[in-house]
Amino acid sequence: MDLAVRAFPAFLSGAINTVLYCISSFPLALLLGLLLSVLSNSRFTWLRVPTRTFIEIIRGTPMIAQIFILYYGIGAILGVYGLAGLINSWTAGIASLAINYAAYEAEVFRAGFLSVDKGQTEAAYSLGLTRGQTFFRIVLPQSIPFMIPPFVNDFIYMLKDSAIVSAIAGTELTSVLNFWATRNSSNPLPLYLIAIVLYLLMSLPTSYVARLFERRLRAAL
Amino acid sequence: MSEIYKEQIASDPVPATTRLDRLAARKRIILLILDVLFFIVAFVLVLAFCYYLYSYRQLLVLYLPVFLDGLRVTIWISLVSVVLAIIFGLLGAFARLSRFAVVRWLAMIYVEVVRGTPILVQLLLWYFGFGAVLTQMGIDPYRIVYSLATTLQINSLFQDSNFDAYLFGIIGLSFNYGAYLTEVFRSGIQSVEHGQSEAALSLGMNSRQIMRHIIFPQAIRMVIPPFTNNFITLIQDSALLSIVGLEELEHATFALALPQVNPGNKMFVFIFGALFYLVICYPLSLFAHYCEARIAKAY
Repeated sequence: MDLAVRAFPAFLSGAINTVLYCISSFPLALLLGLLLSVLSNSRFTWLRVPTRTFIEIIRGTPMIAQIFILYYGIGAILGVYGLAGLINSWTAGIASLAINYAAYEAEVFRAGFLSVDKGQTEAAYSLGLTRGQTFFRIVLPQSIPFMIPPFVNDFIYMLKDSAIVSAIAGTELTSVLNFWATRNSSNPLPLYLIAIVLYLLMSLPTSYVARLFERRLRAAL
Repeated sequence: MSEIYKEQIASDPVPATTRLDRLAARKRIILLILDVLFFIVAFVLVLAFCYYLYSYRQLLVLYLPVFLDGLRVTIWISLVSVVLAIIFGLLGAFARLSRFAVVRWLAMIYVEVVRGTPILVQLLLWYFGFGAVLTQMGIDPYRIVYSLATTLQINSLFQDSNFDAYLFGIIGLSFNYGAYLTEVFRSGIQSVEHGQSEAALSLGMNSRQIMRHIIFPQAIRMVIPPFTNNFITLIQDSALLSIVGLEELEHATFALALPQVNPGNKMFVFIFGALFYLVICYPLSLFAHYCEARIAKAY
């Protein structure tokens, strides 16, 4: 039990790093996902098909493979040009989390834009607004309440997927767990218990708040 | 009166085109030209990618057997895990819908804890946590299974020295996905209208007959799209077993790519490994889209 007490501060700082990873990469994922969804609905084939191909590639490969490509592959290529300082475990982790989740957010955005009544766009065109103006002033603001529950769910998934960043030796909760577990391999279970409790403390209240929010939202609609 | 009108229209020499019609036609032609240009550029890019693969052909010929072996392990582990996950999922779904509150609560705790923690932490727990505890207690699952297989004369299947990683990897994956499939099966069973089971009760069926003949066939078609998505995610999460030391596709990619000195070679090996996953997962996702479309059409 004193192992658990000794380990707890390190695990807590690891959990704070996990939350930092997710808070940094989720807004990036949202912005990139918005861009991808707008491009994938475009009239121009030369914008639509590469974007859809990119989304299918990101969704078809495991995230750990994407992290390795970014950290080791692009890191090595940047090393040739002397830019190796750009890639450390923080930037590679945040970038790969953002790119991976952008592909899923693009689907959420698309469903959100389809949920806005078509009459709104028709009325906007009849009033003389251009396509860009209708999108940013009419469709996007009305679709946001519909898209918030899937976004919160994806944030909870991101809290869990940030554990994969431990594969490139981050300072994440799972990295701390690995570090302590290899040094205490005779008594590993209390460490796993602390890690599981910390992850549950991060994800369960968020999902409870999300369900509350979703119920309020559905009542308001 | 209308015959005179029709005669006038029929005798018009040339139909009148407005300026708007001509602009719209020009815009359509420009879009068509852009599309054709795009398809030409896309074809050239595909050829360039094939040439990129071809330029590394010596490396490819050298490493292909390792990749194929890893692919075999990945497919085998995913199939066994998904079968076990279906069993866990069905057990969990029936437990969630049980009459007894204790069973319901146990299933809910299972689902919430397993869905609330990362799968990597769970895999590490099974292999380094429970595996180390079992080793300390002196129980060696490999020896038990090997001696059991010897009595059944099939011990040539279990020659692997890495049996612990296989065992705990498969258990960890199926335990995790059993929780997700519990929710999928539960929502599929509950999506069948209650009137169906009421009508079946009024016809005199008992609950086991109702489940087998009425609810199960109708729940299956609601369950297939989320189940296929979960299967695709399971195949991708089996890549995490490389951290536990299992010799599957991601482990082969990583072990072959890391010693490469040339960054281009390193990138190529990583991309080639990811290509294998894409080749497995993309047809499955097309199948999932097809199933969703067929189900949407049915209603």
